[in-house]
Amino acid sequence: MEFDWTQLLDYALMAMLLAVGIAIVRLRNLFAAVMLMGVYSLLSAAWFVSLDAVDVAFTEAAVGAGISTVLMLAAMLLTAREAEPVKAARHWAALVVVSVAGAALFYAVGDMPVYGDPNSPANSYVGMDYITSTPNEIAVPNVVTAVLASYRGFDTFGETVVIFAAGLGVMLLLGLRGLKKKEEQK
Amino acid sequence: MNPHLVLRVVAKLLIPLIVVFGLYVHFHGDYSPGGGFQAGVIVASAVILYSLIFGLDSAKRAVPTWFVKFLAAFGVLLYGGTGVATWLLGANYLDYDVLHPDLSHHTGQHIGIILVELGVLSTVFAVMMAIFYAFAGRAPDIPEGEW
Amino acid sequence: MEILLLIRDIASIALMAVGIIFVLAGAIGVVRLPDFYTRMHAAGVTDTLGAELIVFSLILQAGFTLLAAKLLLVGFILFLTSPTATHAVANAAHRAGLNPLLSRHQPPHPRDAGNGEAP
Repeated sequence: MEFDWTQLLDYALMAMLLAVGIAIVRLRNLFAAVMLMGVYSLLSAAWFVSLDAVDVAFTEAAVGAGISTVLMLAAMLLTAREAEPVKAARHWAALVVVSVAGAALFYAVGDMPVYGDPNSPANSYVGMDYITSTPNEIAVPNVVTAVLASYRGFDTFGETVVIFAAGLGVMLLLGLRGLKKKEEQK
Repeated sequence: MNPHLVLRVVAKLLIPLIVVFGLYVHFHGDYSPGGGFQAGVIVASAVILYSLIFGLDSAKRAVPTWFVKFLAAFGVLLYGGTGVATWLLGANYLDYDVLHPDLSHHTGQHIGIILVELGVLSTVFAVMMAIFYAFAGRAPDIPEGEW
Repeated sequence: MEILLLIRDIASIALMAVGIIFVLAGAIGVVRLPDFYTRMHAAGVTDTLGAELIVFSLILQAGFTLLAAKLLLVGFILFLTSPTATHAVANAAHRAGLNPLLSRHQPPHPRDAGNGEAP
């Protein structure tokens, strides 16, 4: 089998993701951590592009790297700039949880389909059906939009309601007017 | 001279472009990557950029809080209402083919997808703005030398 | 006609190579340069000139298509935003009171101060 050189790009991006993830965990400065989370999202967006998932990459770049960085910064202004050091006992509990979860994930790797496997579940049942019938049933060139908005319209409706509920929660808890005007009213 | 003059000039040039790009992402979502969700985030980021550079109060004059609240509910209602409209026209919920009689080109599907994505755009934009207004409105003013 | 295509390819490859050299120089500069302002100076090269040259090289490869128009737009946005971002970061650092590193005004090192030599 011929060696696919583009997979080296995937490995490099994954290694950078790992490095950035470790840096986020190690950092105590919240501002730097928020910025690195933006870097993490941008790297994963680049990785999604390399995997030909442009719609996901677009969402990740716009939401993860763009707006959530700003929202996290706005949230960070309400708290401290530096994280408190965590007690050593809590580290052990976290280590146990992470090790068990990591071992379970490594156990599950054996059942994962090979990258690009044409017989994998994602490529064999309903996915192929969407791709073959979208030109006849929806007549939209972008299959992702057809699946999201038409075939899976109920799911997207649910997502919209979830986003609305999240916004409603923020509005009810914090209010939109802000602190300053309330103080002025007093 | 205002120290943020360069930022203000460039932002005034860029913000309309960002909004136009957001609308392009929405209306071109049938043909290229993108859709209502991404478009809503992009349009919201334009308003947030305006708010970061010109201040929260001017942003609240441009996009008032009552408008944000209205859009958040309007998006969900538009999505659900499209489904109800297909019901009333005699099809299943969110089966867009009945929205337009031209079945050979599936124009109904196009109309339905654009309407539904418009609902997603409106809700996502409004919720992003609501979260930003809620957080930024409570943040204390930072002295210039603090950063 | 083939000569024209060859010229286009050579120009495109040259632009891409120069762009990559600028990006590489910027990356090395960010790591190696001593203080914040010089590092900003290096980082500004990366996303202004380096990215711009790479976009121009891609425009040459795309020819007169819709893709070239989109790339031109990307180049225009980069041309506006990258210098502004560099300016904003440097301006914020300056207003926050960060002084650039100037070798002539450095105080003598404590190690040298004990030698009895007048600074």
